[in-house]
Amino acid sequence: MSGMVRLSAIVILAVVVAFAVMRSAAAAPANLSATLTDTYCVSCHSNAARVAGVSLQGLDPSAASKHPAVWEKVLRKVGSGEMPPPEMPGPNPEERAEFVRNLEAALNAAAAADPNPGRPPAHRLNRAEYSNAVRDLLDVNLDISAMLPVDDSGYGFDNIADVLTLSPALLDRYMFAARRISRLAVGLGPVKPEKDLFVRNRETGFRDAGHARSSPTDLPLGSERGAALPYYFPRSGAYLIAVALDQGDSRTEYEYREARVTVGAGLRTLTMAFPSESSRTERTRPNGSAQAKRPHPPLDVRLDGERHLLVELPEASIPFKIRWISIEGPFDPTGPGPTPSRQRIFRCQPSSASEETPCAERILASLGRRAYRRPLSAGDMSALIAMYRAGHVDGGFENGIAHAIRSLLVAPSFLFRIEQDPEGTRPGGAYRVSDIELASRLSFFLWSSLPDELLLQAAEAGQLSDPAELERQVRRMLADRRSKALVENFVGQWLELRKVAKAKPDELLFPNFDADLRFAMRRETELFVEDILRANRSALDLLDSERTFLNDRLAAHYGIPGVYGRQFREVRLPDDRRGGLLGQGSILTVTSYPNRTSVVIRGKWVLENLFGMPPPPPPPDIPELEEAAHDAEKLTLRELMTLHSQNPTCASCHVRMDPIGFALENYDAIGRWREKDGDTAIDASGSLPGGMVFDGPAELKAVFKTAFKDEFVRTVVEKLLTYALGRGLEYYDRPTVRSIAREAEASGHRLADLVVSVTKSMPFQMRRSAEQ
Amino acid sequence: MIVTGKALSRRQALRGLGVTVALPFLDAMVPALSAARSPAAEPALRMGFVYVPNGIMDLRGEWTPTGEGTDFEFSEINRGLEPFREHVTVLSGLAQLNGRPGKDGAGDHARAGATFLTGARPVKTEGLGIRAGISADQIAARELGKHTQFGSLETGIEEASVAGGCDSGYSCAYTNTISWRSPTTPNPVEDNPRRLFERLFGDGESTDAGERLARLREQRTILDFVREDLARLRGDLGADDRRKLEEYVQSIRDLERRIERAEAQSEKELPVFERPGGVPNDFTAHVKLMIDLQVLAYQADLTRVTTFMMGREGTWRSYPHIGVPDAHHAMTHHSLDSEKIAKVVLINKHHIEMFSYMLERMRSTPDGDGSLLDHSMIVYGSSISDGNQHLHHDLPIVLAGRAGGRLRGGQHLRFPRETPMNNLLLSLLDLVGAPTVRLGDSTGKLEGITHG
Repeated sequence: MSGMVRLSAIVILAVVVAFAVMRSAAAAPANLSATLTDTYCVSCHSNAARVAGVSLQGLDPSAASKHPAVWEKVLRKVGSGEMPPPEMPGPNPEERAEFVRNLEAALNAAAAADPNPGRPPAHRLNRAEYSNAVRDLLDVNLDISAMLPVDDSGYGFDNIADVLTLSPALLDRYMFAARRISRLAVGLGPVKPEKDLFVRNRETGFRDAGHARSSPTDLPLGSERGAALPYYFPRSGAYLIAVALDQGDSRTEYEYREARVTVGAGLRTLTMAFPSESSRTERTRPNGSAQAKRPHPPLDVRLDGERHLLVELPEASIPFKIRWISIEGPFDPTGPGPTPSRQRIFRCQPSSASEETPCAERILASLGRRAYRRPLSAGDMSALIAMYRAGHVDGGFENGIAHAIRSLLVAPSFLFRIEQDPEGTRPGGAYRVSDIELASRLSFFLWSSLPDELLLQAAEAGQLSDPAELERQVRRMLADRRSKALVENFVGQWLELRKVAKAKPDELLFPNFDADLRFAMRRETELFVEDILRANRSALDLLDSERTFLNDRLAAHYGIPGVYGRQFREVRLPDDRRGGLLGQGSILTVTSYPNRTSVVIRGKWVLENLFGMPPPPPPPDIPELEEAAHDAEKLTLRELMTLHSQNPTCASCHVRMDPIGFALENYDAIGRWREKDGDTAIDASGSLPGGMVFDGPAELKAVFKTAFKDEFVRTVVEKLLTYALGRGLEYYDRPTVRSIAREAEASGHRLADLVVSVTKSMPFQMRRSAEQ
Repeated sequence: MIVTGKALSRRQALRGLGVTVALPFLDAMVPALSAARSPAAEPALRMGFVYVPNGIMDLRGEWTPTGEGTDFEFSEINRGLEPFREHVTVLSGLAQLNGRPGKDGAGDHARAGATFLTGARPVKTEGLGIRAGISADQIAARELGKHTQFGSLETGIEEASVAGGCDSGYSCAYTNTISWRSPTTPNPVEDNPRRLFERLFGDGESTDAGERLARLREQRTILDFVREDLARLRGDLGADDRRKLEEYVQSIRDLERRIERAEAQSEKELPVFERPGGVPNDFTAHVKLMIDLQVLAYQADLTRVTTFMMGREGTWRSYPHIGVPDAHHAMTHHSLDSEKIAKVVLINKHHIEMFSYMLERMRSTPDGDGSLLDHSMIVYGSSISDGNQHLHHDLPIVLAGRAGGRLRGGQHLRFPRETPMNNLLLSLLDLVGAPTVRLGDSTGKLEGITHG
């Protein structure tokens, strides 16, 4: 608070000083940029005043290469119009444009002459990377991420090398996961039957207990309610599958059924569903009122789509819901089964004792190279064989392989991405990373996983240095389904989609917000972005589009008719209420409080994530506003927010945040369209500084697509580059951001092209060597 | 195919048939454990920290007790501690001044989390050069951890942030944890009861002593392998990368030491029990389960040091089950709205209720010649007092437990305004035999909390 007041005082003082300076600087010297700086900047940014810690006194913008950090800041502030502040005198538009052009050219030239690619340190695989790497290495379909804690994040992402630390608690988890995964992959299974329980959860459906990721689209056709559980059966054998049913949280009737089922080892999807007829009759009933009991549809239990049982249920007045499912086993295991993992691992099977070691060598050479993402040294190989031998002593060939795999999964060479300075590099100088290292940079960027065989081979053959081959590989990787990771992890964090899983809308206000809707919201945005990426459409389509992806649940939520079934499909939107990210339930929900919308949070989300203009946080305590709010008992939201604009401290930021939020007020806290909030009609009109006027989301988007296009593209580039490099962007990355944005402009902002540009950029291809 | 059905009790239906939570096997453990410990031995001391986010309401004295010394009355929020009066000291006037903005500007929540047990000013960064200070629990863990498999346990009920920034240019590392193993290595917090259980007791396949020993032997060979791989790698690396891998080396040492402890104690029979499921749906059940597991870890002497975060700083968690469907953080910026203030008080009281559960569990768990609570020191509180203004002085702090008879309890002490909370931490480190000259911004030790 006091900081803000102090700042305003300085601004006022500076205005006075600036006028004085202006009068004295009447004659125009040759160097326009230097004159502009002296005229409009140095009054506040002098050695004496140093407003915001910046002094430009005595600095010459035409020699920007001497102080690139400060001039990048100037470029950004002047280019965006933030500086000089509106209440201060500033250059006319032509002068401003020329200043920006010259300064940019000087900075770009300086960067080209002496590139600084930055130096991300050794990078521990994060949770998503570890899970995907293990999946791709062993072809094992476990929800490995449930075995590890969420990583710390910085710069908005959890793949930042500087932040990915390693503690004893985490090593514990790695050791645990490695043992479990290696045994399951090899098919050794648990020593005795284990039991897993999956309990209905409003947030996650039936997820958890470390095995499965449930997706309602896995339910059999023609069913509307139920659970789908992908489950990894560790050995072939008998399993006890049990289900408990209830009638919602407040009801007291329960049913329990169990069945012993023989199952082959591997990943299978267990579904338990009610035929959709039951759901239709349910809808015609008044909500839970006393009703005569009527026949209840049976529970359809299937494994991998094949019906195993049809469980009859007693008559009931209220339909049963699945409360929990448990799976226990294996009983009387018959063997490891021909799982994909075993097929991947056992590329040979020894038929005699003398064949065992050569076979183990073949297996481990292949797995080791893939896991370490580079050719193995003799030392690597002998260490793996030693582990195989240690395991062999305890339990034979397969146990030896499992033990070696277990070691592999905690090996620093696997857990860390490490790049090594080539010999003879100048300390602190830039060098091109090796093709082998570049392969990992590519695969962890695009797939959050290991390079595949094709990429590794291209790297080993030195082909990635060829820009055409590099581009070919990138496009191939984007087309591969593993690029879903880019959507899940990059988009999931950039747009805060991952928060959908954590959102807790008030159950009383939003009783229909359940796991299916939560899933559908996230899925819509993922499919929407994935489509733009794979079809190489314009990134601007993210802001507005005539199409989206819906299933029946989400379409009903949006009030869009004619969409049947739980499968998602592309839908042409009937009107301009939706379209683009800002009309999607996912984003509208994560930018709301549990029980109401927040114009401030939505406005801030837009400015920060779409336009790279994060407003500074508010001072914690604003007495003036408090008093006003306290006196006025029944102010509407808009009246309350008007107070923002009357208070100069608040206005500087809220003048941009609030109007954006208000234009989105037609969406409630879970993204439903509304014309009224309670009894008050929604007023979605507003304007942004610079005379941009709009009413409602459609007009807001029109403003964004034109007036904010450059900011949006720059922000997409910045976020992509941060994620791709796994480090925060520094001043020396700005020229790269500009050059990628320029290329994008030329190619119609196509999203996949943007990704290709990132992989061809200097910091992606190079690294700074260690300072000695 | 045989399908069988049976009637379920409400409890069975709610919890999942046959999958017991931690509670039932606690009683079964007591004889084995008390037999294992010689009665003449000095009781082991435990040190715990319970953190609550977003400050505690004290606008109109909702928190600060009236009266001082032994003659005091609990206030509205902490009245729930009355049953433990003789085990509890309320401390007023303490501060974490490095939580204040200083020249770092916004980010009070990040600084609150990072200062609570360090007293050090966290470096304002999203990533590059993350640094806070070593936390008091970790200093204690170095000493008390000599006797147990786990130096410390870091627990909580909220996962680390999954997306978006956390607070005003501070990396989420600062809000995700309160425990810092070194100034640059934050300890991750475990929020999942099942994972915590597995960490403590293994994957539950077997509690047979012989098999556990074999398991430990396997772990040793793996760690040897890891060391070799590290040695091969480190030769070629720059100093900065070597530093990064040094964390790995430290963690390996920690694990090896643990294996040694476990081998030495392998004749100790662990009771047979089943794993808890994942994260329970409701807040209360989740908190209680995490508390049960911590108490179990104390009881089985698997660790003597714990931290427990009943939420991350700045959390939006809502508490619909107590009539607060609103985001906690938004309510604390109440603009003097009496309805919001009342809701914050409800949350604060609820947290105290959870803390009381912990104290009750510890008081009812026999340990040597007394109870676990008799042999513990548990600090409860927040590194923000007024969540509306983000104040970092007059912190709401409670010290519970007797520390083997050394802590007085039954009093409300008021210290001079802005007394560093780290002075309390130094005093407690003395008690557990980890005397420390200076920690963060400490200026000395606290008077009056111990006998004599």
